[in-house]
Amino acid sequence: MSSSPRDHPEPRKPEVLDPAETLRLIEESQRRARAGTEPDGRLLYLVWGIAWGVGYLVLWTNARDQGGPPTGPAFPIFGTLLIAAIVITIVHSVRRGSGTRGPSRRVGALYGWSWMLGFLAYPFIIAGIARAGASDDVIALVANALACVVVGLMYLAGGTFFPDNRLFVLGLWILLTGGVATIAGMPGTYLVMAIAGGGGFLVMCGIEAVLTARRRRTAACEPGGRGAVGQEPVDG
Amino acid sequence: MDELDTVIHAPARLRVVSTLATLAPAEEIAFPKLQQLLEMTAGNLSTHLRKLEDAGYVRVSKTHTGRKPVTYLALTTAGRRAFEDYTATLTALLKGAGT
Repeated sequence: MSSSPRDHPEPRKPEVLDPAETLRLIEESQRRARAGTEPDGRLLYLVWGIAWGVGYLVLWTNARDQGGPPTGPAFPIFGTLLIAAIVITIVHSVRRGSGTRGPSRRVGALYGWSWMLGFLAYPFIIAGIARAGASDDVIALVANALACVVVGLMYLAGGTFFPDNRLFVLGLWILLTGGVATIAGMPGTYLVMAIAGGGGFLVMCGIEAVLTARRRRTAACEPGGRGAVGQEPVDG
Repeated sequence: MDELDTVIHAPARLRVVSTLATLAPAEEIAFPKLQQLLEMTAGNLSTHLRKLEDAGYVRVSKTHTGRKPVTYLALTTAGRRAFEDYTATLTALLKGAGT
């Protein structure tokens, strides 16, 4: 259909907008609105992909060289990466969610707290099995498996009520990773966590990036552009 | 052919309504956040919101966070319906033009 060129200074009459152009304007506005109020999956998956990928690789190389549980700087490096990922996730999510209120804010907040509560129990369980006489290998395997169970179930829950099918599949994947990582034993468990777990996040990051680019391409080819329309003079 | 809603049809107001329509029905958005999403000046946005409020399409609630006054905005049921009718009419027009 023929689209009349609409450059900014042109004083327009409402009739000038053709339907296709108007629908694109709506799509672009809504894409921008969602991008500004929902967390960016690309960033979060990338951060966690690096934290797990690099962190568990460090643990794996260290454990393999030691022939026992990781020692020295391995755990501090791993811990620092995880804390950085947690901080980035919280700051980014809170920032994106700010400025809106209503039931979904409550859901988001409770989901955030559920993560905290899941991992609040974590150190007590690890300390408990250590006190009960678990060997270093058992502690390491349980630590990885338990992390995968908490993360996997949280993703299944998030995928269910947000709803987000890709997140649900990731939850399934992380649960499988936990199973395989435990069967793999020491020190291979860390390699499985790095490749399957960290790799899983990076694949998700790639998928999100492709989908975002595709959405942007379909919405952005609109003549007139968003900036031009946004500052239009106020009239009836 | 159905007529297009003239309140929504102005591009700037269409962007406002489209943006508000992405919120779930019981959700509200603060004025500064909406302004940031739309990249409009405060005065421009206020004027458009006033028109939409007068048409019964937008609900404005003023509240306080601490001592700071905050204005929250949302589409009313009528506003949401008007937006849905508007997009439906557009889609119908597009289909009509295509055949």
